[in-house]
Amino acid sequence: MSYNVSKEWYYYLRGRELLLYKLLGGSTTERISQSGILSTRDNELMYPDEDIADGLRIEYTALNEPFVAEALETTTAYGSGTNISFALSGTRITTTTANFWDTTSGFAAGDKIRIQGSTSNDADYTIDSFGGGSNVNMVVSGSTITDESAGERITVTQIPKEVASASVDETSHANINQMLSLAIVDYVKAMKAESMGDLATKEYHIREFYSKLGDNEGNKRKIAVSFPTGPFAVR
Amino acid sequence: MTVLEIMERTGVKETSLAKVWIKDAIHLIQSSSKEKIKVRKQDVLKSVSSSDNVYIMPADMISLESVSLKDTSDSKYKKIKRLTFQPSYLLEDTSP
Repeated sequence: MSYNVSKEWYYYLRGRELLLYKLLGGSTTERISQSGILSTRDNELMYPDEDIADGLRIEYTALNEPFVAEALETTTAYGSGTNISFALSGTRITTTTANFWDTTSGFAAGDKIRIQGSTSNDADYTIDSFGGGSNVNMVVSGSTITDESAGERITVTQIPKEVASASVDETSHANINQMLSLAIVDYVKAMKAESMGDLATKEYHIREFYSKLGDNEGNKRKIAVSFPTGPFAVR
Repeated sequence: MTVLEIMERTGVKETSLAKVWIKDAIHLIQSSSKEKIKVRKQDVLKSVSSSDNVYIMPADMISLESVSLKDTSDSKYKKIKRLTFQPSYLLEDTSP
């Protein structure tokens, strides 16, 4: 059993590979003789000595889903309730509130949605159609539905729908917000200037590109920074 | 913002070239500001040979955000620390 992993497991990066090590010592003791002597082997590392299903979790950035079908700012449909149930028959998600999906929440056929809070159906789906009286049924595809009664607090959130690489055209949207889209405009201008040999203009637009990246990060962190004014400062 | 709108704002006429530059720009954005995070999980193996300890990083990775390991005592993923130097014993030693 792995425990105290944040203090007893380490990784080392070797090129494209990650090597895992476990600390031998600390909470690990080892019997080295029949008389019951336990070794204390602090600061020695060993290879993993157990199988852990899905044990290694890597968070990283990637060029995933660079183009989507709809502008990020308009993927705002959202619904939540404790009266939402799931049925494998007909692969549908059902609510007891009339026109909850289409009118109240703002979903449309073709939207991609993410279910959270359910017992067995947390996943991403695509809305195929609405049905039933007052459109209480939402027929979905993309992941397997398991029968589940209402009761849990469930949220349904619209997420960007990826456009496959082969289908990307001029109507596809970059999968980023408006500020970063403006940064992309600067980047493309920089590349265009470079292709024409205008390096001064390229440098200008690259600076603008990184400036907008900085603005975008700053918009997520509302931190007020104040500096004391020196006694001889020009006011 | 659509590909067409970016092309009009920049005066680029070739769609395929615009798409490539947009992808390059998103690549740079992901490299420096971590706009969209991806997660991959894989099994940890009990090492019975030297190659068992080697885990391949995701091929599509641009920048590494964190590495966590599952604590089986409470089934939670906890961040683990990076070694700055590789341990000095030989890789072939499977029982250090």
